[in-house]
Amino acid sequence: MADNTKTEPMVTLERVNTPPAQTWNYLKTNDITLTVPKLSRKGDVYFALPRLFDKVETGMGPKVTDWVTSQAADATYVEVRAGEKNHAPIVVDVDSNACVVSDCGVMVRHDADATVVVVSHGADDVKRTSAALVRIVVESGARLRLVEVVAEGDAHQHLESVGISADEGATVEVRQFFLGAGTTAAGICCALRGDDARVDLQSHYLGQGTQVLDINHVVRMAGKNGRADVRESGILNDAAHKSLRATIDLIHGGSGSKGNEIESVLVNGDDVVNKTMPVILCDEDDVQGNHGATIGSVDPQQMDYLMGRGLSREQAQDLFVRALFDDALIEAAHPLARKAVFERAAATLGQEVACDLIDTLGIELPANAEPTAPTSREDASNA
Amino acid sequence: MAEKSKRTEVEDVDRSLYDFVKSEEGYERYADGLTPDIVRSISAKKDEPQWMLDMRLKALEIYQDKQMAPNWGPSIAGLDMDHISTYVSPKTKQAKDWNDVPADIKDTFERLGIPEAERESLAGVGAQYDSEIVYHNMREEVAKQGVVYTTIEDALHDPKWEPVVHEYFGTLIPPTDHKFAALHYAVWSGGSFVYVPKDVHLDYPLQSYFRLNAQGAGQFEHTLIIVEPGADLHFIEGCSAPKYYEANLHAGAVELFVKDHARLRYSTIENWSKNMYNLNTKRATVGADSKMEWVSGSFGSHVSYLYPTTILKGDRGSCEYTGITFSGATQDLDTGCKFILLGKDTNVSADAKSISKDGGVNTFRSSVFVGKDAQNARATVSCSSLMLDDISRSDTIPQMDIRNNTAQVGHEATIGRISDDTVLYLMSRGCSEAEARTMVVNGFADPVSKELPLEYAVEMNNLIKIEMEGAIG
Amino acid sequence: MSQLLTISGLSAGTDEKPILHGIDLSVGAGETHVLMGPNGAGKSTLGHVIMGDPVYKVTGGTISFDGEDITDKTPDKRSLAGIFLSYQAPVEVPGVPLYSFLRTITQMRPELKTTARKFRQRVGEICDQLDMDQGFLTRELNVGFSGGEKKKVEMLQLLLLQPKLAILDETDSGLDVDALSVVSRGIEAYRKECDGALLMITHNTRILEKLDVDKTHVMVKGHLVAEGPASLIDDIDQNGFARFEQAPAGQKVEA
Repeated sequence: MADNTKTEPMVTLERVNTPPAQTWNYLKTNDITLTVPKLSRKGDVYFALPRLFDKVETGMGPKVTDWVTSQAADATYVEVRAGEKNHAPIVVDVDSNACVVSDCGVMVRHDADATVVVVSHGADDVKRTSAALVRIVVESGARLRLVEVVAEGDAHQHLESVGISADEGATVEVRQFFLGAGTTAAGICCALRGDDARVDLQSHYLGQGTQVLDINHVVRMAGKNGRADVRESGILNDAAHKSLRATIDLIHGGSGSKGNEIESVLVNGDDVVNKTMPVILCDEDDVQGNHGATIGSVDPQQMDYLMGRGLSREQAQDLFVRALFDDALIEAAHPLARKAVFERAAATLGQEVACDLIDTLGIELPANAEPTAPTSREDASNA
Repeated sequence: MAEKSKRTEVEDVDRSLYDFVKSEEGYERYADGLTPDIVRSISAKKDEPQWMLDMRLKALEIYQDKQMAPNWGPSIAGLDMDHISTYVSPKTKQAKDWNDVPADIKDTFERLGIPEAERESLAGVGAQYDSEIVYHNMREEVAKQGVVYTTIEDALHDPKWEPVVHEYFGTLIPPTDHKFAALHYAVWSGGSFVYVPKDVHLDYPLQSYFRLNAQGAGQFEHTLIIVEPGADLHFIEGCSAPKYYEANLHAGAVELFVKDHARLRYSTIENWSKNMYNLNTKRATVGADSKMEWVSGSFGSHVSYLYPTTILKGDRGSCEYTGITFSGATQDLDTGCKFILLGKDTNVSADAKSISKDGGVNTFRSSVFVGKDAQNARATVSCSSLMLDDISRSDTIPQMDIRNNTAQVGHEATIGRISDDTVLYLMSRGCSEAEARTMVVNGFADPVSKELPLEYAVEMNNLIKIEMEGAIG
Repeated sequence: MSQLLTISGLSAGTDEKPILHGIDLSVGAGETHVLMGPNGAGKSTLGHVIMGDPVYKVTGGTISFDGEDITDKTPDKRSLAGIFLSYQAPVEVPGVPLYSFLRTITQMRPELKTTARKFRQRVGEICDQLDMDQGFLTRELNVGFSGGEKKKVEMLQLLLLQPKLAILDETDSGLDVDALSVVSRGIEAYRKECDGALLMITHNTRILEKLDVDKTHVMVKGHLVAEGPASLIDDIDQNGFARFEQAPAGQKVEA
C-alpha cells in the first residue's frame, strides 16, 4: 500500500496552509494547493484520537486534518501524567518508506514535562507523499519541547500540520528544521489560551535546487500576559521557492501580551523566489506586537567580522549552511532525529563535512539509533 | 478600573467644518444604478471621442463580470449600486473666477478655505463639485512655462491634447485591474489633466479639491499627470463630503507618469464623511533617476481601500511613501502601499502610521515586489500602529516577494498603546497627563504632519487634540 | 631588525572625512605595544584599518605585515596571514552556533587543521582557562551574550587561532573585575603560548600592569604625537593627555 505510483487515485487539497488574515490573491502568497494520494479504506475501522483534539487548531487547516485522518493508519495517543518530568521523548517517526501518513495526539498533563520529536526522513528519490499531523494539548504549568525535522529526498512531498493548545502558565518551545524535500508544506498553530502561557518558536530552513517550501506560522494570543517569540531564519539557494506566512494574533482580552516575530533570510541563488508575509492582528490595546524581516545577503557588519577571522565571502556564506545543520544536530533531542539530520547533511554538504559535524559535537550515531547517546550539550561539557 | 480612567481620549475630527449641505435643487441628476444607457448619456453630455465611449462600455462589461475578493478586505455590503447615482451636476459652467461660481458652491469652497489657499500658496486650483469641475484656474506665469492644468474633458476637446490623453489614459490602471477600477472607467467624470514640460520646475503646488455634496451619489474623477524629463511638480488633492445616512461612493483613479530625472510629490488629505465607500486607485510609474513621493492622510470615509502603487521601471528611481490613517467609530480603513521594483539600484521606503480608537478598524496592507533584474534594489517598509482603547482593532498585513539576490529588503512593524512609562517620564518633567498624552500622539503623527502642506498640518494637529478624562481637577 | 608590522605614512578615513594622518608605526615579532589617546583620537580606526575594514579608505601610505604589502588585501587574507583584531563590540551572528564558527575558522588554516576530537579537546582547554561555560559553544555566535561574555569569546578565538599579531581594541572596556582578570589571563596565555605580538588599544592602565610593554604610542586627532617606553603609561596615568593635545599637529612631543 505504501507504493504510491501514478495509478493511485489522487485528491487535490485546495488553498491550504492559509493564514488567519489574507491579502491580494494575485500575489499568490495566501496558500498552497497540493495534490496528494487518496487511499480507499472501505470497511476498515481505525483507532482515532479523543474528540477533544478536534478543537485544537492546526497550522495547515481542517482540509489537511481531514485528509490525514482519512489516510492514516491507527492514530497514536500519548499521555504524559501530571507532574511527570522524565518521560522519554515521544517520537513521531515518519519514515517515508514505511509509515507514510501519521496522526498523533499528545496530552501533556498539569505540570508535566514532555519532549516530542517529529522526524520525517527518507533518502530515496521515489516520488512519494508523507504527512504528519500532530496535535498537542499542554495543560496548566506543563512544559512542551517540540522538535520537528524534515529531511527528505528531493522528489518527496511532505506535509506537516501541527496544533498546540497551551493552558495557563504552560511553556512551549518549538524548533523546526526544514532541511529538504521536493515540497515541504508545514503549518503550525500555537494557541496560548491560558494566562501567562508562552511560546518560543524557532524555525530554520534551507531551500536548494527547485525545492518548494510553504510555511505557515500562527500564534493565537488569547490569555493574559502571554509571550510569543517567533524567529525564522533561512537560506535559499539555486531556484528554491519559499513562502512564509507568520501571524501573531493578539486577541481581545489577552491584555499584557507581547508577541514578536522576526525573519532573516539569506538569498544566494539567482532564481530564488522568496515570499514573506508577516502579519500582526491586534484587537487589544494593552499589548505589544512587533515584527521584522530582513532579506538579502549577509549583513555587512557580520561579513566584516567573519572576514576579519579569515573567511572569504563564499566561505562565510557556506558557514551559514553548515551552521544550520550544526544547530539541527544540537537541538535534535533524539538519536533518530540526529541520524536524519546527519544523512541530510551528508547529501547536502558531503560525507566528509557531515562526519566532521558530528565528530566536532561529539555525537555518536548508533546504526540502529537506540536512544542511548547522551545529548550533545552534556557531551560537549564532558569533553 | 483605575486603568480605564487613564485611557486616552482623542477627539473626533471636528466635522462641523465639513458637515454642511447645499441644496441640489435644479441639478442634473442621472437615474440611480448602472446601465449602458446611463454610460452613453454621460459620454454624450461630454461630447467625447468614440474611443472613450467604447472604453466606457467595455469597462461596464468588465465591472459586471468582476467580483470582489471573498477572502480579504473590509465589507462593502452596505454599498448598493442600484441606489447610487453615478452622475450629478450643478447646472453651471466651469469658471476661471470665483465670482462666476454660483453663490452656494462658492460659499462651500470659501468655508473649506480653497480660494484663500489659492491666493497664498498655490500655483493653480481645480475645484470639483459632485461630478463636474466648477472652477479651474492657474497662475499666468505658470501657464507661460507651458504647464497645462485643466480637466480631462477639456483636454479631450483640444486637438493638441486629445492624442496625449488617448495615449496615456487608462494605461497604468487598466479597467481590468479590479471591479471598482472598471466602474470608474465606465462612469468617470471630472478630475484633472496636468502636463509639466521638460525641465520645468513649479515653485508652488497645484491643488484639486473634490467635494461630494449630493446624497446617494458617486464621485469618479480621473487624474492624469505627466511629468516630463527633468521636471518637478507638487500636486495636492483634498476631498470631503457632508454626512448622510445613505451610502456614497468614491471610485477615482489617479495615473501618474514620472519620466526620467523628474520628481513628483503627490499629497492627499482625504476627509470623506463616514457614509463614504472610498475605493480609490492610485498608481505611478517612475523613470530612471526620478523620484516619486506620496504623502497620504486618511481620516474620513466608512470603508476605504487605498494603496498607492509605484512601479519603478528605470534604474536608480526612488519612491517614498509617508502615510497616516486615523480610524474612529464605524470606520474600517484598509490602506497601505505597493511597490514594484524593476530597475537596478531602485530604492523605496514606506513609513506608515495608524491610530485606532472608538472601535475603529485600521488595516495596513502592503506589497513589495523586487524583480529578477533589479540589482541592488533597496526596500524598507516600516509601520507603526497606536491603539487608543481596547475596542478598536489594528492589523498589519505586509507581503514581500523578492526575486533578486542582491536586493536588501527590510520590514518592521510595531503595535501598541501609549506607554505608561513615557507618560510618567513626561509628567515627572512637569507636563500634565493630558499634555503628556497629547505630546506622545502628536509626536507619533509628526513625521507625517510635517510632510503635509501647512494648512493641512494645522488641521491634522487640531484633529489630534487630546482631552483627558478628569485631567483637570 | 625585521619588523612584523610596518605602517608608513598611512592616511585613511571614511568617505566623509579623513581620520588618520601620516601614521608611522612598527611592531616587531613578539613585542607588546600600547596605543593610547583621548576619545575620538582615531585609535580604533587604526586597528580597523590594519585589519582592512572596508568602511575606511586608505588615502596614502602602506601597511606591510610579515614582509608583505597588505595595504590592498581583504580582511580574510590579513587574518590568514596572522593578524587578529579583537572587536570593541563583537558582532552578533544569529544562526551560527559558536562551535560551527570556531571549527570553520580553524579548519581553513593549514597550521591549525586537526581532527574533530583534538579540536574539541583544545576548545575545552581554552574554555577552562577562561572560566567559560561550555554551554556557550552551542549558542549562536555572540547573540544575547553580555559584554563580558562577548569579550571572552574574542579571547577564546585569540587563543585558538594563535595569530602573529593581536590588536586588542578596548578589550577591557565595560568589564567587571572578574571578567577583567579573565581577559588578563587570556592575554598572558597568548603571550606565553605563542609569543605573539600585541598592540593594545586602551584607556585603562590596570590591564597593562601585568604586561611587559615594549613601547607606548600616543595618538591625538589622528596623528601619532608621542612614542616612548613603558614609563610613559604612568606619566599619562598621572597627567592625562593635556600636554599632547596642545602640541601642534604632526609634531612629536618629547617623551
